[in-house]
Parts: sequence; C-alpha cells; structure tokens
Amino acid sequence: MSVLLDVQGLQTRFRVRKGYVYAVNGVSFSLEEGETLGVVGESGCGKSVTMLSLVRLLPPAASIENGQVLLRGEDLLQLDLRHLRDVRGGQVGMIFQDPMTSLNPFINIGTQMSEPLIYHRGMSKKEALARSAELLEMVGIPDGEARLREYPHQFSGGMRQRVMIAMSMSCEPAVLIADEPTTALDVTIQAQIVELVKELRDRSGVAVIWITHDLSVVAGIADRVIVMYAGYIVEEAPVDALFEDPRHPYTVGLMGALPSLEGETGTRLTTIGGSPPDLEELPDYCPFHTRCPYAIDRCRTENPMLEPVADASDRGHRAACWVDIREVAVQSNGAGASS
Amino acid sequence: MTTQEVTAGSEVDIVEASRTNLWKDAVARLVANKLAVIGIIPIVLLFFLAVFGPYLTPYDFLAQDFTARLAAPSSEHWLGTDELGRDVLSRILYGARTAVSVGLVSTAISLIVGLVMGSLAGYLGGRVDFMVVWLTDVTRSMPALLLAIVINLTLKTPLEAWMEEMYLATKNGFFRQTMWVDLVLVFGALALIQWPGYARLIRGQILSIRSRNYVLAARALGMPTGRILTRYVIPNAMGPLIVAVSAGLGGAMVLESAFSFLGVGVQLPIPSWGKMISDGLRMYRTHPHLLAGPAVMMAIITVSFAWLGDGLNDALNPRQWGG
Repeated sequence: MSVLLDVQGLQTRFRVRKGYVYAVNGVSFSLEEGETLGVVGESGCGKSVTMLSLVRLLPPAASIENGQVLLRGEDLLQLDLRHLRDVRGGQVGMIFQDPMTSLNPFINIGTQMSEPLIYHRGMSKKEALARSAELLEMVGIPDGEARLREYPHQFSGGMRQRVMIAMSMSCEPAVLIADEPTTALDVTIQAQIVELVKELRDRSGVAVIWITHDLSVVAGIADRVIVMYAGYIVEEAPVDALFEDPRHPYTVGLMGALPSLEGETGTRLTTIGGSPPDLEELPDYCPFHTRCPYAIDRCRTENPMLEPVADASDRGHRAACWVDIREVAVQSNGAGASS
Repeated sequence: MTTQEVTAGSEVDIVEASRTNLWKDAVARLVANKLAVIGIIPIVLLFFLAVFGPYLTPYDFLAQDFTARLAAPSSEHWLGTDELGRDVLSRILYGARTAVSVGLVSTAISLIVGLVMGSLAGYLGGRVDFMVVWLTDVTRSMPALLLAIVINLTLKTPLEAWMEEMYLATKNGFFRQTMWVDLVLVFGALALIQWPGYARLIRGQILSIRSRNYVLAARALGMPTGRILTRYVIPNAMGPLIVAVSAGLGGAMVLESAFSFLGVGVQLPIPSWGKMISDGLRMYRTHPHLLAGPAVMMAIITVSFAWLGDGLNDALNPRQWGG
C-alpha cells in the first residue's frame, strides 16, 4: 500500500474580532490508497475545518498558516487556483452534511451532474448526460434517465445525498471526503448511505475520509480512526485497536457516551461535561484537562504530543496524553482490593 | 421529530404538485393568485396605452377648445376638459406614456447601477463593500423629495444654459427642446433615489447565496468562479429582484407624479398625471372631474403594481423551492 495523501503540520486559524481562533493546530495524518479513515470528534473540534483546509475551501475569515498537504506528492497548499480546481472534483470528491441545501434549486439534476464531467473530463453535453444517468442508477436511483430532467425539490433528502455522492464520484476521484454525510438523514437512510459508500469504495478502490461524530458509523466503515479535540489529533489507531483499547480519556469518554444494546435500561447515558474550548491562543496545557477525570498537574502546564502508546497491539496506535489511563484504572482497583 | 414529519409531508405535496420547471411552477402560482391577475390587467393596459395611446385619443393633448373650457364629462369629452379646454381623457392617455417611460427608464438606470454596485460590494467585500454601503446609507438618509427638489434647483439652470450654448454652437434644433432637460433631471433624480435599494438587495442576495451549501458543493467540484456566478448565484438571486423591480416600477411612477405635483417633475406640455392632479386640486370643489380622472388612474395603477408585486413575491418565494 502506498501513501496517497500525506498531511503534515496543518494549521488553520480564523480571524475574529479580537485576534484569532485556532481551529486546526498542527494536524498530521496520512491516508493510503483505498483506505478508509474515520475522523471523529464533537462539534467544533476542527474536523470539518481540517478537511476543508485540504482543498482550500475555507470561508474568507479562515487562513491556513502552516503545513503541507501532499496528494501523490503534490502540495495542494502551494497549487495555483487553476490546478487546484482540477484537483477539486477531479481527484478529491466531497460530500457534505446537508443534502437538502447542497444542490442548486434552479438547475435540473442532469445539468448539475454533467457540469463536472464536462469541465473535468471534457465530455460533450450528450455524453455527460448519458454518464449521469448511469451514475444515478449506480447510486441506486432507478430510472436515471427520466430523473435527470427533474429538479432537486422533487428528490427526498436521502435521494439528494445519493445524487451528491454520484456527483462527487463522477470523475473517479482518488479520495472521497465525506463530511458528516448522514447526520441530517434519518436512521434507516443513514444506514443505506453508509452501505452505498462502502459498495462504491469496494468497487472503485477510492480512499475515503469519513467525518462523523457517530462512533458506531465509524466502527462499521473505517479501517483506521483519528479522534480530534480542539483542533488536535488526540488519538489515532486502527479501528479495532481503538475500540478495544482506547488510550485517550476523550476517546474513552466518547465511547462511554455510546448507548449500548445490552446496557441496562433506565440509566442515564454517560456524558462528557462541558464543551470544547475555542482556542484564542495556542495552549501550553492539555486542552482537554478541564473536562478530564484523569487530569494531573502536568496536564495544566504542558500540552502532550501525539506519541505511540505503550504496549500497543498495533504500531500505528498513537495518543496525546500524559497519563497512561490503564495504570490509573489498575491503581484504583488495587486500592479497592487492599482496603 | 415533528419538524421532520412536517418537511416530509410538504415535500410530498410539492413533488406531486410539480413535475415541471421551476419557472412554470412560479407562473402557475402567479396565475392562481386572483389579486395578482386582477393587478396584471391594468398594468398590461397601461403599457398598451403607453405605446398606442396617442393613436387612440379622441383629441390632441394640446388641442384647446375655448368654447368648452372646464366642461363637465359629456359624450364629446368623456372626462371633461380643463381650464384651457383640453380634453382630459386625451391627456390621461398621453400621461400613461410619461408614467411608463419614466418608470421603465429610471428603473433600468437604477437597476443597472444597483446591480454593478451591489455585486461589487457582495463579491469583493472589504473596503469596496464598506464604500458602497456607506454611499447607499448617505443617499438613503436624504428625503427623496427633498433630493429631487435640490437636484432640480441646482442643475436645471446650468443644464439649460449648456443646451443653449450647444444650440448656438451646432445650430442643432435638438438642443432647443428643453423638455429633455426635465426628463434627464427626473430620470436622474429617480435613479439616484432608487439605486441604493437595488444595490442593497443584490448585495444581500450575493452574500447569502455565496455561503449556501450548493455554492460550496460546486466549488468542491472544481467549478470556476464565472460559472458559479452565472449558474448558481445569479439565477437564485432573481426571485427577490423580480419582485423588487415590479414594486420599483410602480414606485417610480408614483414618485414621478409626486415630483410633478410639487413642480419639479416633467414640465408641460407633456402631460403628467401628477401635474394634472396638482392643477386639478386647485379647483376640486367646483370642477372635481379635473382631479378625479388622473387621481383614479394613479390609484388603480399603484394598487395594481402592489398586487402584482405581492403575487410575484408569493410565486417566487424560495421557501417553497425546498432549497
């Protein structure tokens, strides 16, 4: 497996009235050909901004301060706009959270779908429409040819997301970035969309970055997972290792907040109190310490780096925490036994 | 949960109601609106009169009949005659031409200025945006009528002097027709009063559409800026703009009448409803028909444009596009 996308030290901040808000703080990760990477974290942790930074689709107030985004060795952050446009849609496809508003209400589906094909692939209008009809059938919308003439308001939310997926996959990109594509849909449709993306991935070999705050979705689709908090990657691991052996208190907290099928009914779900901070300066403390049950003095004075964890089952398992949370758990057990 | 159910329900309705084009839908909704249709009839009639009125008038608008001064409505003069014995109906029909040309030209000028300024502000942002917003604020802070009076008082004399100079220099008869000065001043004043409204509307539209998800999605698909502007931003900004133009046309006609009423509008001999109302007002106790004719006409047109504007607003309301 070779590395497809290599992100190094990505840093993005927003200009606000007083100074800056640091949204992405030195994020590094890589994606191999055909791999599916899950990105989890709660709202405002920087996961969407990270992905928008990759292809520089940020709002005007945001600026990328540092870093490299190497797609097959080419730095997207240095690319001029013309070539960047070829990458967007051509090599990197994106789907977004809200399919209800992601399609232009004024243009029919066929015209809308054929635009990237005409633009990136140099197809004629006729070829592009024929291909669009095939794509619609491919994403499970029957009678594609007839539906090309319809407008977005004639499609349901789930179908619009299928159209978005068809559009983003139409130019056979190397990477598909899915930014919470199921969040706005109801549960049964969510499952269908996840299945659809899996199927397309297996058929085309596209690498997928799947952003979500739903760990159960990640468990079903991802090969590897990164957990983000306050613009930092706090844990990175293959999906099995993460679920079996989470090492960052935040990851543990996220898992604790998952409802389980076997769990006792009538009990409250565990939550992580508070909300993530908006960083107005780069912290010299662990940004999670205010919400962390394991916090020690060092967490308040030094920000931990993402480092390989001890006794990892996988070499790729890294976490950013001063505390080995297994030891803390063992200690408290030991104390309980001796008394 | 409730909201989801509601959206699901309304979506089904829309899907079943419309299997065609969005514009056709809008037209269908407009036609279904009774008030809008009632409003369209006088407006169509007005435009028809503006074009063909002069061929339909029973008398020339200047023809004076001294034997029938201030005559009450009769079979000869349906709406009576004025002080100089001119046929009121003929003058009202000619006045339609003034109203329509003033409405169209001033709306066109202010729309073009507003489009350019508004798009620049919305798209470029920053300092340009600040300047444009500041300019619109300054313009809008001045009372419309006062502005028109000031323009008329300060510019009319120099402009007429310039025309006279040009006539002496070129001997071209065109420069002797001082009514052009009036028209230019009236169009200019109306455009100056109306452009900030369009500029702000367009700026707001562009700002809001630029941050829509479908624009982000189009950018994520690598679409170039020009294409995004023409295919995504402009069509989606059209609805409110059409409504504003419809209201603006009516508004410009009313404003022109107000100018004429105050004596800063189009000067005689071109008949203007506002001027006729102003003249008729002096004698409304003894000769109410002089006031009634143009006033009723004015009222019908104003109400018609308001109804059409409302109808368009409902028909083009983006809420119902589910986007």
